[in-house]
Amino acid sequence: MIARENILARIGKARGPGAAVDVDMAIRRRQRGPIPAMEKDLVKLFSERAVKLASDVAQAGTVTEVPGLIARYLRERDLPMKGVSWPAMAPFGWRDAGIEIEARAARGDDLVGVTGAFLGIAETGTLMLLSGARTPATVSLLPETHIAVIEAGRIVATMEQAWDRLRVERGALPRAVNFISGPSRTADIEQTVTLGAHGPYRVLIIIVG
Amino acid sequence: MKVGLFVTCLVDLMRPGIGFAALRLLEAAGCEVVVPPAQTCCGQPGYNSGDRKAAKALALKVIEEFDGCDYVVLPSGSCAGMIRVHYPALFKDDPAVIESIKRLSARTYELTDFLVNIAKLQNIPGDYSGSLTYHDSCSGLREMGVQAQPRALLARIPGVKLTEMRESTTCCGFGGTFSVKFGEISTRMADNKCAHIAQTGAGAIVAGDLGCLLNIEGRLRRRGDLDTRVLHIAEVLAGEDACK
Amino acid sequence: MQVTAMHFKRKAGENLCNEKLQKALEKLQTKFVDGRAAAIAELPNFEEVRDAATDIRDKVIRNLDRYLLRFEQEATARGAVVHWAETGDEVNRIVAEIAHQHGLHKAVKSKSMVSEECGLNDALESQGLDVLETDLGEYILQLAHEPPSHIVAPVVHKSKEEIADLFEEKHHRTRTTQIAELCREAREVLRPGFLSADLGISGANFIIAETGSVLIVTNEGNGRLATTLPRVHVAITGIEKVVPTLEDVTTLLRLLPRSATGQSITNYVSVLTGTKEKGESDGPEHFHIILLDNGRSKLLGTELQPMLRCIRCGACMNHCPVYQNIGGHAYGWVYPGPMGSVLTPSFAGLENALDLPNASTFCGECAVVCPVKIPLPDLLRHLRTRQVEQRLRPWPERAALRLWSWMAQRPAVYALGTRLAARLLRAFSGSAQRFHYLPGVTGWTSGRDMPAPAGRTFRDLYNSRRSS
Repeated sequence: MIARENILARIGKARGPGAAVDVDMAIRRRQRGPIPAMEKDLVKLFSERAVKLASDVAQAGTVTEVPGLIARYLRERDLPMKGVSWPAMAPFGWRDAGIEIEARAARGDDLVGVTGAFLGIAETGTLMLLSGARTPATVSLLPETHIAVIEAGRIVATMEQAWDRLRVERGALPRAVNFISGPSRTADIEQTVTLGAHGPYRVLIIIVG
Repeated sequence: MKVGLFVTCLVDLMRPGIGFAALRLLEAAGCEVVVPPAQTCCGQPGYNSGDRKAAKALALKVIEEFDGCDYVVLPSGSCAGMIRVHYPALFKDDPAVIESIKRLSARTYELTDFLVNIAKLQNIPGDYSGSLTYHDSCSGLREMGVQAQPRALLARIPGVKLTEMRESTTCCGFGGTFSVKFGEISTRMADNKCAHIAQTGAGAIVAGDLGCLLNIEGRLRRRGDLDTRVLHIAEVLAGEDACK
Repeated sequence: MQVTAMHFKRKAGENLCNEKLQKALEKLQTKFVDGRAAAIAELPNFEEVRDAATDIRDKVIRNLDRYLLRFEQEATARGAVVHWAETGDEVNRIVAEIAHQHGLHKAVKSKSMVSEECGLNDALESQGLDVLETDLGEYILQLAHEPPSHIVAPVVHKSKEEIADLFEEKHHRTRTTQIAELCREAREVLRPGFLSADLGISGANFIIAETGSVLIVTNEGNGRLATTLPRVHVAITGIEKVVPTLEDVTTLLRLLPRSATGQSITNYVSVLTGTKEKGESDGPEHFHIILLDNGRSKLLGTELQPMLRCIRCGACMNHCPVYQNIGGHAYGWVYPGPMGSVLTPSFAGLENALDLPNASTFCGECAVVCPVKIPLPDLLRHLRTRQVEQRLRPWPERAALRLWSWMAQRPAVYALGTRLAARLLRAFSGSAQRFHYLPGVTGWTSGRDMPAPAGRTFRDLYNSRRSS
């Protein structure tokens, strides 16, 4: 408690007698900063930027095409045809596509994780995932392959728009908002970018619709 | 246009030819040039070493000396920067003096910037012939916006073949007293600059600040390079006979 | 961390001769300098964003207490516990208490420069807690018992061969110098650590007042793992890291990755608010946030206040020609390069880091690239002024400067002195007209010749020509 009082006292004293701003009002204003100009086809922009950051991007007309698409992706790369997913993906036609999917949180040895996404952000080709009981974070983080399924209509232009949607649709922030822009990577060794650090080695984004 | 020429302490002591070259260029541009006789130093060494009091004293002296000149021109980006950028900062809490400081600041120019943008020099006296490369001195570049001007002037000398070096805007390592206090680091930075100069194959290295030139020349000669000429932009533009 | 900044000159000299280090430092140019330039070029309104980011930081600094209080209020409402610490030792004590309170034994750590200020790892280990660094660079440093040499790329000073040797020694696996294999090896060695840890320790790139959130940017995924799997999460950050709103942090995020690594966005941006929610399978049950002062509040109201804008991108050191040649360890504390040359004297004592503010040519490149327009050369000059005021400069230096100023204010004396100097130096310089050695400036002549003056001053020549 003493540290708190001391620190606040020092800060207050340094500010001096000038009027302090009403921070609650300043915060309520939610002033946006300058937003870069962007092209209008958000799905196209999102795909281009995601690919630039080393994600793989595929398009599906409807959700029913998704398991087949994933099966082909995994087979092409000699990856195991089994993994985990969010509960929302459980009813997809996995068995017909030849993939074994369990709807649960991932463990250390799971190799494929399938999630949805709350939104996609076109400016940087980024996925926005929200934590929750039905959206375990481990599914997008522990496996070597992360596959995200997102509706085309859920791609917005900027993070500013994403925050507004979140406020409207959910009210408060969930425990964790994770913005994901490609496979995990590190450049710590000789500044050479290597994909696949502690998180996934590859990310496939399937845009539906 | 009455131009006060402030030759700078380094030029006065080490390479007076640069002062005469500047003089010729300003006259060729049609300026009436005066050289206030009491000029000594702009105060930068003291200022950068933390002695604000000494710097202020010299600044007030400079205002007085150059009073009555329409412009103050210096063959040095760092000294010009001292007057234009740092004098106002030095006196920002001095209401009695700040106005005259600002007036001085507003009419202070680095030489090539003045020749191109104010005096609009048409006929360049010099007739240099040969290959050269240009080093962008830090203060000139970042405080005074000097980059295109020397190149524009050099382009008008038919015999000049300019080859840009890699990292022309990287510091040469002079930095005033830094060159003596941190000699090893300074020498390495100078050495890097010399390597970039050598890579161009140019016969001469040209810059707008004598501090940089002395530093570069010193390292070139220690490296065994006795051939690469080290020239101030004013010397190239004014012609060799102007420098004697 | 212990301060060794008083050995700057010696260490810099050693580093200049260290060929392995010199080779490693060459990477700074391509990866960081060119990378940043390309990333900035992609942002069409970069200068506008930079102005906005600077305003955001200044707005916060002017009302730091009020934003911190709002942050504390919001974070607490979401179930986090907010602690305040004046010193690094207090932070260490708080973390140890948290570990004790919750019965914690194994910690995984995601990079935190603030924790380096505190010497947290050593303090926790002396209390019997296992601490595992998980950021690849920091993990390598932990194995090597070395401090970081850069705030973003901690092992920029090491080659892959050196890292291969280290892994071979510590992991007892077949040696490889393939970078991808080294990374895979680190992943396999560290993954069990993530899964078995009960405490996750992180820093925070920003904390958000509006929502009481902690924001962490990483590329590796270790930040997410360390703050998701263990049952207790402790985030430690400096008090100046608070930002008002989600919109404000979004503006800053347009600049931080571009300035630091040349990325448009880091791989992971995590915004963490409160504890595990009902029904969730992951997330910490307890979330502790420690706000550290350690000298930051003392910068408020002084000429050094702009330093608090810093968002720890590292652009200044990447572009600093001095840092590029000597690396980070010479700076002798947590923060190297231009920002370290301001922070170390400020936080660790002016008298303990006398060389740092002086080891700069004021080339100004740091100020050009700083995303929040910190006038670093001006701040360094201010520290030099403080050194003079506190009589910390060696007397020969003070005397020489005083003599110069005295003469420069007296034109007649000056004219005489310079006339003599020009003539004498010219006379003594021999046929080569330069000096291989000159007493008083051996710092120069040890590595360079000193050209001799022309022999007569401009003043002399001008006067004699005018009178003829």
